[in-house]
Amino acid sequence: MRLILTRTGAALAISTLTCFLPIQPASAQTYIIGSTGFPSTIRVAIRQNNAFGEPDPRGPIIYVSTINFDQYCQDVLPNEWYPTWPIASLEAGAIAVKMFGWYHHLHPVTVGGFTFDVDNTVNFQLFRAQSDQDQTNQAYQNTRNLAYVMPDKTIFELNYRAGYENNPNWQYRNAQKMSQWGSQYWAALGRTPLQILEFYYVNRMLVTIPGVGKG
Amino acid sequence: MIMSYFPVQKYKILIAASIFVTSMLASANGLLVHGALASETKPIVTPPKQSDQTTIPPSGYVPVLPDPHYGMLRVKVLDGRTLKPLPDAEIVLLETEKRYRTDKLGLTPWIKAPVLRSARFRFLVNELHGQLTLISYKNGYRDSIHMGVRMNDGSPTKTTIWQYKIDPTADTRVEPVLYQEPYHRLWLIKLADRFRRPSQLGEGYEHP
Repeated sequence: MRLILTRTGAALAISTLTCFLPIQPASAQTYIIGSTGFPSTIRVAIRQNNAFGEPDPRGPIIYVSTINFDQYCQDVLPNEWYPTWPIASLEAGAIAVKMFGWYHHLHPVTVGGFTFDVDNTVNFQLFRAQSDQDQTNQAYQNTRNLAYVMPDKTIFELNYRAGYENNPNWQYRNAQKMSQWGSQYWAALGRTPLQILEFYYVNRMLVTIPGVGKG
Repeated sequence: MIMSYFPVQKYKILIAASIFVTSMLASANGLLVHGALASETKPIVTPPKQSDQTTIPPSGYVPVLPDPHYGMLRVKVLDGRTLKPLPDAEIVLLETEKRYRTDKLGLTPWIKAPVLRSARFRFLVNELHGQLTLISYKNGYRDSIHMGVRMNDGSPTKTTIWQYKIDPTADTRVEPVLYQEPYHRLWLIKLADRFRRPSQLGEGYEHP
């Protein structure tokens, strides 16, 4: 009885105190551009293939491969974006692919005893080793030193979906996701990669990554 | 005053009438193209000019057989286990039946290769890329068949073939290795959307 009273009293005192303090909700650790190093490698979980020889998003993980981060981005981009699209669309895609990979590099997961950053399926981004193409490599190298972040420079997950062809895909802007077909639509109209990113990710900003050069 | 007013009105009426007739003709022509009025009036068919034959239609589909498009292709051959380049492997491009050899870096020269888009899906969803088939041969290695190599129209394409060394103790039955390169996911999504009912939610407006 005495213990309960003490606890109640302490709780009351704390609640009285917090009335006068600014509210700081508990949150996961955030990573800021400038104080977070550019990743050199990324851990990619390789999932078992399905009957058609394609990695199965629900298949068991066979092993985890550590891959050069630049190479990872270059082997993802032609599988996510279409290599013959305008360069502005590919550059917007290159920034999205890189920021998505970087975010998950900072937030690894453990599944089935394997700790990894991303897997090689559409659970994260579609990765096929040795599938890089010249046009998409060029787009990645052009934007390698750029990051698209929150106003306080926090690295966040730039998500994207296919969307619809010949359409600006406004609904994806509302969902804070880039539409890939939408990026192609805007690039064909002459928009820059920054304008495309600003259309889909509202209230974010483009910054230069300190110490990271173009390829 | 009255004399000067009427000619102006007359011209205005004439201009309006000519615009109306022109727009009607244009819309009828548009319908003729789509076949809606084909049974009612006979369209005037003019033979296409030489330059018109390579014009890309609004659908984006370019029939490949009479006028194939080409892209540049370079093949890299690697040892599937050591991931080191394989020199002196012979690559056969089945669609042209031409043969190429890899250099010290395991690379073929740049090959002018046709962009062949399957006619199966022509009227449903146009394929975004052409597809080719390659076979790689090298003594001491399993033959490697590489199907569905994505050929991008008008831009260079790189692809990699993995060959596996034959181990006489372990490989008792030596047969070719097949790798089927998948369709691009953007095209697969497009194909699925083509037949989706409004009630069947996918990547729709309701859930972007």
